[in-house]
Amino acid sequence: MSTKRRGAALLAGLLFLAACQQAAAVPAVVCVGEATTYLDWLNGDFLPDVEGTIEEPADTAGDLLETVQENGVLRISTDANYEPQSFLEPDGTFIGFDIDVGTEIATRLGVDAEFQHVDWDAITAGNWSERWDISVGSMTITTPRKDILSFTQPYYYTPAYLAASTRSEVTDTDQLPFELPDGAEPTTLATDANCIEAIEAGRPEFDLVITSGTVIDGAVDAGSPILKIGEPIFTENLAVAIDQSGPPHAALLFEIDRIIGEMHEDGTLTELSEKWFDGADLTQDPSAS
Amino acid sequence: MTAAAGTPEAGSILAQLEAYQERSRTVFRLKFIAVWVVLIGALLGALWATGNIDLAFIAEWGPFILGGASLTILLSVVSIIFATLLAIVGAIGRLSRNAYINGVASLYVSLVRGTPLIVQIFFIYFGLPQLGIVLPSIPAGIIALSFNYGAYMTEIFRAGIQAVPPGQREAAQSLGMPERQVMGRIVLPQAFRIVIPAIGNDFVAMIKDSALVSTIAVQELLWRAGQVGTQNFRSLEALLIAAAVYWILTIVFSAFQERLEKRMARGDR
Repeated sequence: MSTKRRGAALLAGLLFLAACQQAAAVPAVVCVGEATTYLDWLNGDFLPDVEGTIEEPADTAGDLLETVQENGVLRISTDANYEPQSFLEPDGTFIGFDIDVGTEIATRLGVDAEFQHVDWDAITAGNWSERWDISVGSMTITTPRKDILSFTQPYYYTPAYLAASTRSEVTDTDQLPFELPDGAEPTTLATDANCIEAIEAGRPEFDLVITSGTVIDGAVDAGSPILKIGEPIFTENLAVAIDQSGPPHAALLFEIDRIIGEMHEDGTLTELSEKWFDGADLTQDPSAS
Repeated sequence: MTAAAGTPEAGSILAQLEAYQERSRTVFRLKFIAVWVVLIGALLGALWATGNIDLAFIAEWGPFILGGASLTILLSVVSIIFATLLAIVGAIGRLSRNAYINGVASLYVSLVRGTPLIVQIFFIYFGLPQLGIVLPSIPAGIIALSFNYGAYMTEIFRAGIQAVPPGQREAAQSLGMPERQVMGRIVLPQAFRIVIPAIGNDFVAMIKDSALVSTIAVQELLWRAGQVGTQNFRSLEALLIAAAVYWILTIVFSAFQERLEKRMARGDR
């Protein structure tokens, strides 16, 4: 190669390396949970929605409500590892905001609550095969999900945030070398809680996580090396869901919706929110103010 | 100096020989145990020396993880029983001169041995609901394990049945015994004694394979260790506990099996 060519090649090489250094500071990889609204948002197809009209059905014969009341048990699906909504205690019981809400709903229906721990993507896919009755798992109401699941009114609202590992030294969205959401490369683990755990474990593949503000706060309180960054990306309304492909459930949906309304009014939900979310009341609709 | 057998001197030489053999066996055992203690101690010591082992975590969550062992044992025991029953039927089918029965049994063995156990577990738990068959996780796990091990044990039982001396069968037939009695009273009992070591091996393997059932949310040993470990960022301790429990379970059941084999072999001398 001639000197000029060599010089040009060297310069190109150095520029390339410099560019790599810049990008290598924070990879454009963002970790989210499978089948979450955070993944939808990164992919550009997040379609938040509200619950449909919920009417008291004229005929309650054969409804899931009757079956539940006969069996005396309401089977609720929840996540096994989603602090502070639902997580394990050393004596083998599960505790958390969702657990308390689910137990309260069952009590007001006059039955016991039985919790099953199911993978999140199995819950959001519908077709529960009647393995459990309802989902109290902080599920966001979205348009595609409304085709598969019936939703009650929201029982609380959370902001979704970006969080970065402290190792990456990113403290603001301006410091990111790419645009959200278009420039981000989503990667998924089973749940967003797993993403935070992977950062704790020191995995170098990603530094960024998008998840609910409550999960980030819970992790930071527990000492995780992450930091909430910037403003909320969006706010989600979280409701109880029932599988549409299961048995008829219009009466159960109406009852649970009514109970949630009661729990909003008599302050139970506010109390539970303050208990689990560091004194914050997340049960007020932010869009209504 | 030679001594005729039966004289007091021959007796004492024999006794001395036996005493010597007993001593060397004892010395061997002591050395063996010493090696195990030293190696395991070194391994645990090295882990401890990293300073990364959290004893408080083990004390807090250990009982919960250990609680999963009872479900592991339950799954293994129930599955091995069903697998053995399947294996007897399958082995007789494989040896049948009826082409249809033989064909079905051979298909069962080939299909189930030819697909991974984890695929079978997922199929029964996630796939069957699409056909309308919904099973809770523990029965699904037991069915998958029994079916899978039944296929492997079918071949073992077949070999066991074929290992019973043909003279036994011929003698039974010459006594005018119907085929069913020949099988049920003469051949199978003897075949069973031959395959006991293999069943024992499979039981020990089943204890470990039961860990796969954690993938369908059965709260057995591995599920608990995995959940607790990830949730508290202490996977090393949690999984060490699980591995140790599996190891102890297999050692205990292998010891039982050895005892059983020795008892059964007594009749052969």
